Amino acid sequence: MVTLDVRPQLLDALSALRERVAAARFPLPLAGAPRARANRDELLAQLDDYLVPRLRDPQAPLLAVVGGSTGAGKSTLVNSLVGRRVSEAGVLRPTTRTPVLVCHPEDHHWFSGMRVLPDLTRVWAHRHETTDDLLLPGENPARVLRIETADTVPPGLALLDAPDVDSLVSDNRVLAAELICAADIWIMVTTAARYADAVPWHMLRTAKEYDVTLVTVLDRVPHQVIGEVSRQYGALLTKAGLGQVPRFTVPELPESAWGGGLLPATAVAALRTWLVHQTQDPAARQHAVARTAQGILDSLNTRLPELAGAAAAQHAAALRLTSAVDTAYDREHTRVRGRLQAGAVLAGDALKRWRAFPLDCTPGELLDTLVESLAELLLCAVTAADERVDEAWRREPAAAAPELTARDTAGNDAEHRIGLAVRRWRRELEEYAEDEVRELDRSVAPDPELVAALVATVLLGGRRGRAAGERLAERIGAHGALRLRDRGGRLLVEHVDRILHTERERRLAPLDALEVHPEPQAELIAALSVLQKER
Amino acid sequence: MTAVTDQDHTEHPEHPEHPEHTGHTEHPEQGGQAGPSTEHTAYSGNRSASSGSAPVAGRRAEAARPGRAEDDRSGADDASGGAGGTSGDGTGRRTGDRSPGVNADAGTGPSASAGAGKAEGTGSGAGGAGDGDPWDDGLIARRAEENPGHAPYGLTQTRPPAQQLITPLSYDPPLRSRLEALRELVGLSRTRLDNHTLAEAGRVLDEAAARRRLSGQHTVVAIAGATGSGKSQLFNALAGVAISETGVRRPTTAAPIACSWSDGAAGLIERLGIPPRLRRRPLQSGPDVDEQLRGLVLIDLPDHDSAAVQHREQVDRVLRLVDAVIWVVDPEKYADAVLHERYLRPMAAHAEVMFVVLNQIDRLPGEAAEQVLDDLRRLLDEDGIALGEYGEPGATVLALSALTGDGVGELRDALAQFVAERAAPSRRIAADVDIAAARLWPVYAARRRVGLSEEAREEFSARLADAVGATAAGEAAERAWLRNANRACDTPWLRLWRWCQERREPATGRQVVRPQPDEEATARQRVEQAVRTVADRASAGLPAPWAQAVREAAARGAQGLPEALDELAVRAGLPPGRPPRPGWWPVAVLAQASMTILQFVGGLWLLGQIIGVMSPNLGVPVLLMMIGIIGGPLIEWSCKMAARGPARRYGMEAERRLREAAAGCGRARVLDPVAAELLRYREVRERFARVAGVAAGTGGR
Repeated sequence: MVTLDVRPQLLDALSALRERVAAARFPLPLAGAPRARANRDELLAQLDDYLVPRLRDPQAPLLAVVGGSTGAGKSTLVNSLVGRRVSEAGVLRPTTRTPVLVCHPEDHHWFSGMRVLPDLTRVWAHRHETTDDLLLPGENPARVLRIETADTVPPGLALLDAPDVDSLVSDNRVLAAELICAADIWIMVTTAARYADAVPWHMLRTAKEYDVTLVTVLDRVPHQVIGEVSRQYGALLTKAGLGQVPRFTVPELPESAWGGGLLPATAVAALRTWLVHQTQDPAARQHAVARTAQGILDSLNTRLPELAGAAAAQHAAALRLTSAVDTAYDREHTRVRGRLQAGAVLAGDALKRWRAFPLDCTPGELLDTLVESLAELLLCAVTAADERVDEAWRREPAAAAPELTARDTAGNDAEHRIGLAVRRWRRELEEYAEDEVRELDRSVAPDPELVAALVATVLLGGRRGRAAGERLAERIGAHGALRLRDRGGRLLVEHVDRILHTERERRLAPLDALEVHPEPQAELIAALSVLQKER
Repeated sequence: MTAVTDQDHTEHPEHPEHPEHTGHTEHPEQGGQAGPSTEHTAYSGNRSASSGSAPVAGRRAEAARPGRAEDDRSGADDASGGAGGTSGDGTGRRTGDRSPGVNADAGTGPSASAGAGKAEGTGSGAGGAGDGDPWDDGLIARRAEENPGHAPYGLTQTRPPAQQLITPLSYDPPLRSRLEALRELVGLSRTRLDNHTLAEAGRVLDEAAARRRLSGQHTVVAIAGATGSGKSQLFNALAGVAISETGVRRPTTAAPIACSWSDGAAGLIERLGIPPRLRRRPLQSGPDVDEQLRGLVLIDLPDHDSAAVQHREQVDRVLRLVDAVIWVVDPEKYADAVLHERYLRPMAAHAEVMFVVLNQIDRLPGEAAEQVLDDLRRLLDEDGIALGEYGEPGATVLALSALTGDGVGELRDALAQFVAERAAPSRRIAADVDIAAARLWPVYAARRRVGLSEEAREEFSARLADAVGATAAGEAAERAWLRNANRACDTPWLRLWRWCQERREPATGRQVVRPQPDEEATARQRVEQAVRTVADRASAGLPAPWAQAVREAAARGAQGLPEALDELAVRAGLPPGRPPRPGWWPVAVLAQASMTILQFVGGLWLLGQIIGVMSPNLGVPVLLMMIGIIGGPLIEWSCKMAARGPARRYGMEAERRLREAAAGCGRARVLDPVAAELLRYREVRERFARVAGVAAGTGGR
């Protein structure tokens, strides 16, 4: 006999766990991400709508959710159990679009509040026509729960007529799954034509997995074949390991097909009796409640690690993306350093200017082309790195996230930013040159701009700029030249590092904004272990 | 027999235009009596000999197809060659007949597929297959023909073979041209797209070719639906006999069952993979009924929604191969998500070859059947399926009860008309092509006009010119020229002063021309960036695979480009040494010299007067000196002015030479390959437009 003993610590652990689950995010579109997201939502729904409220109020009425495929006769069954038309039934599919909850008038207060199913808006409409008027404008009609009361429902029991689990309207499907998660007793309805369908069997397997209190109804069975179909269905259930599940058979009657008529009480008497027994008999009731609750608590043992695994996969993917960016930028950084040392900046226009210097070229012009050439080198490195990153990311499914693909017009921006940074370097270099010149004797002091141009050539020209070093030494003395060169070199390295670092950070910014961290995984597992200790 | 085959092999090249005649005269069954009398009798003789091997060849062809990536037609031809070796004379002759074509296909690869198609077209003309169909060469037609009497699977078929002359299917010209375009498209895209993307198109082509070889008199219609909807019941109702097992046990039917209303469909059923023990004949209830559905091959499928996964796989496999589908739904399940989302929505293009039947209306009272039918129509409409109402083409929606027979007659009439039209296979293939085209849309359709704009080309050239330093070189040349000119025309006093200046200053900047060879004179980063920019421009708006191809072409061209530019800059640069001088220079120098002489003369004259050697005459020497003093700078200044133009021209010339050389190099190495790649894309795009463009036309038919 399973018992349900609820301690406040358990509730606390559950709430903590709930927060952790709610905080888990799966933003990267990995193969398992949609499933993880669905699992998280389902788990959250089960915690919010069932487990926490049930453990808080063990004496609350049992909620029996009637679920099944479209056209299985769920609404007709609920109506017949209640004894009057509470849920609309009909031949057009899908029939039930708004879930209907029926309970005894005395139990009304349990459901009118937000104790269970807190994200569904309550509607108290006794007549169907008015439901539409009660909706606030813009409200999704699917996110509404209609509450009906009927004296014929035994106290301590509430019946919920859910939409189809395989509805064409996908919102309905999601809602159905959510409602079923909130149930103490799962009533799975299937029909003679459907009992081998894949979708309801999936639900049945889930029910078995969670070990909930389950009952199946084989509905709409033609009289002629009632024995055979029932036997077949029983065999299938036994094969699936669900042989001990209570099974009820409702024959197909003219009333079940048309007009939402009620089935005669005899047709559903057995089911009704069983339900009444579950609610009235304390032991049976306790058993039903405890079994579902324990089953779901047990299921956490497997579901939370699954979620944690998905969170870990997210983090691993994020790490892979980050490392692709790092590798690409590191490589380009090394290349830039090598090129700088080789004097690649002093090429093309800059080289021609240097050749013409000082006879046919002013120091200002030389400095201009050098700066431009340096900016081009850096821009080339950044775009090459970006290209490399794009290529690496193309192989990563996680990089398909819309946040990562929607890149701004990076080219022009990068050009602009690099241009600014390089010009700033030039200004600082010119200031250094002025400092050096100021210390010299006024009579022999050369033009600071000339000194700056020579220093820049030395720094950027590699071997080719050696002549510039000699000239610089002639102008401001060997000692001053060496000092200026060292300071300028440090400044250059610093600026180049900063520029590449900024570009790398910009590239990583959208990924960082997704906030994929390693913590959720550990937190989920920790919350689970706390819960296990408290049970 | 072997001798005949050999002879054919050798004779073939000598008579390339009439290969068939030789074959027929040598044919032992013809004897000598018929000779090359008429093509038709030759064929009939041929047919009887070859029919035994035909299914074998067909199966080989199917087995060989997946392995052959090049062209399914060549795959089939190869297979026929293989079959020919075993089956003797008729097919053996064919092998000889075909082998050049096969070789040509294999040798030239995908790009030759168009040419190969034409070659086969002419072959068909010679073979007299008739309608000018480019594929309808005698070979395929004959291979496809089956003589039921000899067919190994013809056990269930009892008719005498003489009645039945099975003509293969022929597609209408628009569809043929679309298929041809699709084939060329696949061939051209092989190197650019992965097999996975092209798989669907390849499958459509394979199926089109396979279906084409089989009977055009028959229409294969599958009955599909959810478990328990009454597929088998309907199947039995149409056949008039309980062929397919019905029952309450779910799922009932586990394997597809075929029922053919007339002979000659063995190949079609074989293609579906239905074994002989599951092939049936309808009840011969009456000649008129039998006649009405003549040509119908009905397939009863397992369910698609039960927990038995292998059923779903079978359904999916068979649905790809049949000509038309009857979807059976029932009042309980007609709105199932699985049916609509998994089958009806993806197959919306197949509306014209689709029947949707609401079964079990006997379970609905009164007008409820109408309501449900309307709701079903609404759902189908939401799925995007065109409904065949008011004479428009589209899916036929009917309500019936297979149990009571209510409405089955209507379905039978509709089917009879449908089968009699014999258009279903073509429509189905056309719809398949539509779907394949829609799937391929993202890899072929450009988001905007593609191509390399003149602007982008010029920008590329300008960047390359920057990389070799054309502007700076031009400016430097201009200034050097100007400097030289000025120096030449300077007044001697100024020269003297400058010389003193130089003597005083350390000799920096004197060693202007150091003719050391520069390694890496070209700015590598600029070249790299230029190539990257132009590749980005060229590939902007292209679908990903083609953009990648363009970028790769540019990257390939960029290899070695900087070195080439280095070399080129040396060649195209100005010759070292002093720049050339214009003709007026000596005059200017002379004038300058004469001015100096005037100064000297004036000065000496004055000096002479002062020391009293000469007669005092103040005016003339002063005037001479004044002319010399004023004229010297004046000449210098005017020379400077006059030198500006030539200097500018000289600089421009230097710049232009570098610029043009760089642009030429860039064009040859990068722009041309990129343009070629774009052209290739445009070619493919045009093929795709042919595949997809006609789709709109037939869709609206």
